[in-house]
Amino acid sequence: MYDVVIIGSGASGGAVAYTLCKAGYKVAVLEKGRLMRREAFSKDELAYCRRDLVTPNLFDEYHTIEEKVEGKWVATPTHESGWSFWNGNIVGGSSNLMSGMFHRLHPDDFRLKSKYGAIKGANIEDWPISYDDLEPYYTLAEELVGISGHHIPHRYEPKRSTPNFSQPPTKENAVVKLLDKSCENLGFTPLVTPRAVLSKDSNGRKACYYSNLCGSYGCSSGAKGSARESLINPALATGNLTLLTNSHVKRLQSDSQDKVHAALVVDTITGKERYIKGKIFVVAAQSHESARLLLNSSNQYHPKGLGNSSGELGKNLIFSGGGAGQGELQKENLKQIKFEDLMTTGLFVNRSILDWYFIDHWWDGKFKGGSVEFMFEHQNLISRARKDNEVKGKLVWGKALGERVEKRFQEQKSIRFEIFNDWLPNDDCFVSLDPTHKDKYGMPVGKLRVEGHPQDIKVGKYIAKKCEKILVEMGAKEVYSSISSSPSTNLVAGGCRFGNNPKHSVLNKYCQSHDVKNLFVADASFMPTGGSVAYTWTIYANAFRVADHIIEQLNITKI
Amino acid sequence: MKIKRRAFLVLGSLLGLSPYLNAQVINGFQKEFKEVEKTLYAVQDHMFPEGCPLPSAQAMYMTQFLYDTMQHHSFDKDIKAFVIEGAKELQKREKGKFNTMSSKEKEKALRAYEETRYGSSWLSRIMTLSMEGMFSDPIYGSNTKEAGWKALGSYGSFPRPKTKYLES
Repeated sequence: MYDVVIIGSGASGGAVAYTLCKAGYKVAVLEKGRLMRREAFSKDELAYCRRDLVTPNLFDEYHTIEEKVEGKWVATPTHESGWSFWNGNIVGGSSNLMSGMFHRLHPDDFRLKSKYGAIKGANIEDWPISYDDLEPYYTLAEELVGISGHHIPHRYEPKRSTPNFSQPPTKENAVVKLLDKSCENLGFTPLVTPRAVLSKDSNGRKACYYSNLCGSYGCSSGAKGSARESLINPALATGNLTLLTNSHVKRLQSDSQDKVHAALVVDTITGKERYIKGKIFVVAAQSHESARLLLNSSNQYHPKGLGNSSGELGKNLIFSGGGAGQGELQKENLKQIKFEDLMTTGLFVNRSILDWYFIDHWWDGKFKGGSVEFMFEHQNLISRARKDNEVKGKLVWGKALGERVEKRFQEQKSIRFEIFNDWLPNDDCFVSLDPTHKDKYGMPVGKLRVEGHPQDIKVGKYIAKKCEKILVEMGAKEVYSSISSSPSTNLVAGGCRFGNNPKHSVLNKYCQSHDVKNLFVADASFMPTGGSVAYTWTIYANAFRVADHIIEQLNITKI
Repeated sequence: MKIKRRAFLVLGSLLGLSPYLNAQVINGFQKEFKEVEKTLYAVQDHMFPEGCPLPSAQAMYMTQFLYDTMQHHSFDKDIKAFVIEGAKELQKREKGKFNTMSSKEKEKALRAYEETRYGSSWLSRIMTLSMEGMFSDPIYGSNTKEAGWKALGSYGSFPRPKTKYLES
């Protein structure tokens, strides 16, 4: 029997495994995918970005997605829509494939309801913990995961317990001179983006080598702060971690009202099933799959799903609101910087804007806003060559196509912004079990209803207008933006809210089930609201906090 | 709205479903592909002819790439069926003469096909798959001597793949 059994090896599973193994406990991590070592990651666009190399085949494993069609909810399997909600099923999970733009939440993100009041149609709740509770763990994650950056004080930048990042920022493209100047002209404040990418060698991991392809790819130098590189590998080195790959957990078994005693695991290659037993179980399978596992683990004591006496399990799923925009920096009218410098590959843009994180304006009103990241368009060759090859709805081919693609690659570069704002939790965004569809292991698949709140669009559009002005000021052409209510499939949270009241939440403030005392959910499921930045730093930080509490529990048991 | 893709791809052809759709063996696909191979090549050759800024379909072995990439078990079976069905539909529309048409006649036939929603989507898919070959790593057999990358003036990043994912 293991001290702790963790389901999932991504950011949260990795953080819990690391902490417990370092403390001397025997841990099993059950990972559905395979182990891909650093050396195995190449920049193979076809494999990683055009095919499903690191996610399940949608005909084998899928979700059903509910959308409103002519006033009725219609659920469609993702193998029919091609709309995958998988995010990297390998050891380290989607943290292997992230771009690594990291931000802490703002203290007011922990008390959104108190600060801004309720919003009609949105289920906003304050968190049961404060920023101060999480701050030491943000700092811990910064060190262990390896976050590079440069702190610039700003009214919406949360306070730090250390003066600055121990790793300086990654190298930057000359475009930042143009971007900084343009922001200055408009009265905006660009900040250096903290990034989970090492700028210097550290602990057996090599510094970034500026491959030009980061997001969507695994890192072959170890610079990217994936859970695999930064946490699972050191945990394995303690000798206390048993990493079980190709191990999909079908359900958790309980032999009493308040205890899980085993995970039913199927070997994804042989199909053979077995039970893995532990004192404590930690679910860390990514929000929609964590909720699905608990719903699939219903039993005589928990008929509505494991730990679901509140009826809240699966509810208030959230994504990231916002959207993106883009413009073309063209050779013929580029200002302030040399075109050759702009075209230098591999270097980061590394700029964020937090000026609109909260809006309190005499005309625009007072409301929660969001953050912005600037970057170059993803540098994948196939997708860049393929995009926008139409004129008036007709495909361009032959000589005209060649000239068009040639110009795109050699005479311009696309600068892009991405907006992150709260996806307000609401009654029409949740995960449940599909009553008819089952995966290849015979378990009901997750059915996701993914409706956003109108406020999310309003906020996104407000910020997009500001960002478009920046691109225009930079001299970019063909500037546009797109704010969408479509869910960000790689940024998902909620579904197992934490809170002090067991009637209204699934987990307590330590992300421990109110109902089942040896059950924890460590991934982003706990979040009642998501803040207006990518979740990953918060997931790492909170999982370190949860792990400390688990150690306390194990110590009490020992006594 | 993303819910209608499968219905569109699989059921959109006027011809209906190929028998191979239900066949799970590669041989079924191989046979079906063989039947439309020349049409696929003719379309790719028209989109990527000799003497243009981008390398030609012939020089990039685009039709062979199409076969190799689609025969792998991981390839979306609906798209695989769509590629075959769409080529058959083009053959039928042009009464089996498309492959031997002059360039001018092919242009007219493809533009007419593009007027249909199904044809437009099929042509777009053929272009996407062809470009996947031309700009992917040369290990996949297209983009020979990195000619696709040279045309862009941009090259694949390192480390490059040592094995094809198709071998797994």
